[in-house]
Amino acid sequence: MPDHPFLKMSQIDKAFNGVEVLKDVSLEVEKGEIHALLGENGAGKSTLMNILGGVHQPDRGKIVIDDSEIDMTNPRVSQQHGIGFIHQELNVVSDLRVYENMFLGAELRNKFGFVNVEEMCNQARDILGKLGVDIDPKAYVRNLDTSYKQLIEISKALLHESKLIIMDEPTTALAEHEVDRLFTLMRNLKHSGVSIIYISHKLKEIKAICDRFTVLRDGEVAGVGNLKEEDLESITKLMVGKSVSEERFTQAQEFGDVLLEVQGLTNVGLFRNINFQVHKGEIVGFTGLAGDGRTELFETLFGYRKKYTGNITIHDRLIKMDHPQKALKAGIGLVPKNRKENAIIKDLNVIHNMSLSSMSHFERLGLIQEKVEKSKFQHYKKLLNIKVHNPNVPIDRLSGGNQQKVVIAKWLEVNTDILIFDNPTQGIDVGAKREIYEHIVSLANQGKGIIILSSEAPEILKVCHHINVMYQGEITARFNGKTATEDTIMSYATGSKREGETNAEYTTS
Amino acid sequence: MPSTQLHEPSPQQQSSTTMKDRLNWLWSEYSVIIAFLIIFIVASMMSPRFLDLTNQLNILMHVSIIGIISLGMTIIMLSGGIDLSVGSVLALVGVLTVMAMNASGSIIIGLLTACIVGAFAGFLNGILIAKGKIASFIATLGMMAGARSIALYTANGGSISSEVDGFSAISNSKLGMIHYPVIIFIIMTVLVFILMHKTRFGRYVYAIGSNEKAALLSGIRVDRVKIGVYSLAGLLVSAAAIIETSRLNSISSSSSGMQYELDAIAAVIIGGTRMTGGRGKIIGTFFGVLILGILNNMMNLMNVSTHLQGFVKGLIIIIAVVFQKRE
Repeated sequence: MPDHPFLKMSQIDKAFNGVEVLKDVSLEVEKGEIHALLGENGAGKSTLMNILGGVHQPDRGKIVIDDSEIDMTNPRVSQQHGIGFIHQELNVVSDLRVYENMFLGAELRNKFGFVNVEEMCNQARDILGKLGVDIDPKAYVRNLDTSYKQLIEISKALLHESKLIIMDEPTTALAEHEVDRLFTLMRNLKHSGVSIIYISHKLKEIKAICDRFTVLRDGEVAGVGNLKEEDLESITKLMVGKSVSEERFTQAQEFGDVLLEVQGLTNVGLFRNINFQVHKGEIVGFTGLAGDGRTELFETLFGYRKKYTGNITIHDRLIKMDHPQKALKAGIGLVPKNRKENAIIKDLNVIHNMSLSSMSHFERLGLIQEKVEKSKFQHYKKLLNIKVHNPNVPIDRLSGGNQQKVVIAKWLEVNTDILIFDNPTQGIDVGAKREIYEHIVSLANQGKGIIILSSEAPEILKVCHHINVMYQGEITARFNGKTATEDTIMSYATGSKREGETNAEYTTS
Repeated sequence: MPSTQLHEPSPQQQSSTTMKDRLNWLWSEYSVIIAFLIIFIVASMMSPRFLDLTNQLNILMHVSIIGIISLGMTIIMLSGGIDLSVGSVLALVGVLTVMAMNASGSIIIGLLTACIVGAFAGFLNGILIAKGKIASFIATLGMMAGARSIALYTANGGSISSEVDGFSAISNSKLGMIHYPVIIFIIMTVLVFILMHKTRFGRYVYAIGSNEKAALLSGIRVDRVKIGVYSLAGLLVSAAAIIETSRLNSISSSSSGMQYELDAIAAVIIGGTRMTGGRGKIIGTFFGVLILGILNNMMNLMNVSTHLQGFVKGLIIIIAVVFQKRE
């Protein structure tokens, strides 16, 4: 290994309001290396990257790039030194076109000072072509899928010819084949001498793409090493301080009566002819690629989308779903995906977020009993291990995992018989993930019917009794959770294989 | 002060935070009260007459109408909307109330008419916004033009006076030293405070203003809550219209309620409510109303030209918002 790494951050200290977030952290990235930065939520990864990006200033320590020490006083300095930052949150403007987004703030102009649309489109097309994405640079971003928005962010960093790109969980919104494409591109970048710092919770991806890793735990470096020489188990152990295995969480068990039956459900353009049942105590998974219609299917089932044909029967009662409140009354709860947009009310505090769907439990003579709310929250805090010192702070002060637990607590308080979890572990660290799986399984053991939607096949395999695979709005295959494998699921999810409705029936073991 | 929507640091947290943090917190939570105190002190230094009890009560009397409207405006703005129609609806309510009262000879019939007209105008706004999915700015802009036009047409463009004895007593009587409108304003403030901070309706309004989709996915009947919000605000305009009409025992279809929407929005903004909804307090609006009242009073006492008063008001609104942005 050469003595002069491209980037060297050494002995970085950082504290916010007297709370130490980073303690004596060092990080070295070679030229043309893909370096994994690992750690649970709150371990200090984002802070460290924000220091590198010039967003925060370190209290102590120095940053050396290409042998010269640099004072990262603001994001511009960082950009000028070739550092590109792809944030976890998508910073795209939906009302602008693709190329306008890519060149935002750095528009090309012709000699008259007008924007040079043609040149920008050509460059945009080049870069999108490199990524293997087939979208028109002139298309409006609002008409594109979320995964494309992510790719636009990545293209933006490429456009600025960065020498080091920070990718903060770039694959959360991507389908598997898009992830593969991204990886190919990352390898190309690597060969052309660009370094990448890759932050992700998906250890398999990291194993596949990264060269070396640095693990942060509680603001300190817990380990540095070569990915080829370590197995996932030991890295996980470094991250959480204990071992988390890949075993299945569910056990085979007897199911009770049918809770939910869906027959011939169709919503034109989104999904068609969907049939399935959910029994008491059963965990049913739905997986597929982006655009498979599963989220829309369950938004319809939850009364958020009103136009549909087909029958929804709950507890043997046919129900016309036209409002979430009706679904809630009928016994369906939904923990939606994209927590920030769909699930949390960021101006309400943690307790009020918990009680929002079941206000009648906390009222006397029409007035809210805050004491009852508070004591109920303490109950869920203990039950779900929600880490919060002061539940009166706005919910967006909590980490992603704890926010998700509050959302789950909200639905536990409503106490519906059926619970739908859409991408329940999105942006959540390994430890909290495991806790959430355990809670889901224990809810099923208490006799609830559970539905899990996820684009991550391993997640579905870990917790579901039965798995439905969707492709372009249809259920293309059904599997028993015990016998299914990731490969077979993928082959149906990508549409390369499909079964008819009739022989797709699984046996309830 | 009891506050359910905003966080108060727990004792342990407070002890660990520095003096500067605590000052910051005090500022961001109660900046409107601090601003009120500063303006109050400055006013009392600039004009000796300002502190007279009669002058103080006079200020309260003057702000009570805008104050009651501002309470409704606060609820609407917390839900993420805005209501431009309050001034016109006030004129329409006044005209129809006087007509109903003159025709029937009964004050009770007049008051009932007022409540029905105001609440119905609000209800229409709510239907257009919640069911028709029209932006609140547009829907209430339409209502603003429409209500004023009907008021002008009904009253032939002029004023109409009440012919029923005793109606003017509503605004012109006192309990001890305090005018009835002031008492009504304060009672309304307390009721709206309880509604917004102690009932599920209030909780839902904050939730909708902060994140409408998440509120809907939490099983809240967003449409109904919104219709309720606008209807309630309309009802509060009814109360304001009764006071306005009773004060002079007449109402002008052309000039009554002119630009009340701007004063009400100004009071709400000065009070620290966020334009996009989800954040703000009834208490803030209460002090916002008082700040506007003191400014008007001070300029009158100091003989500032009425033509310049709008300039000063505009300046204060912008300064207030600039300071609140610092949080």
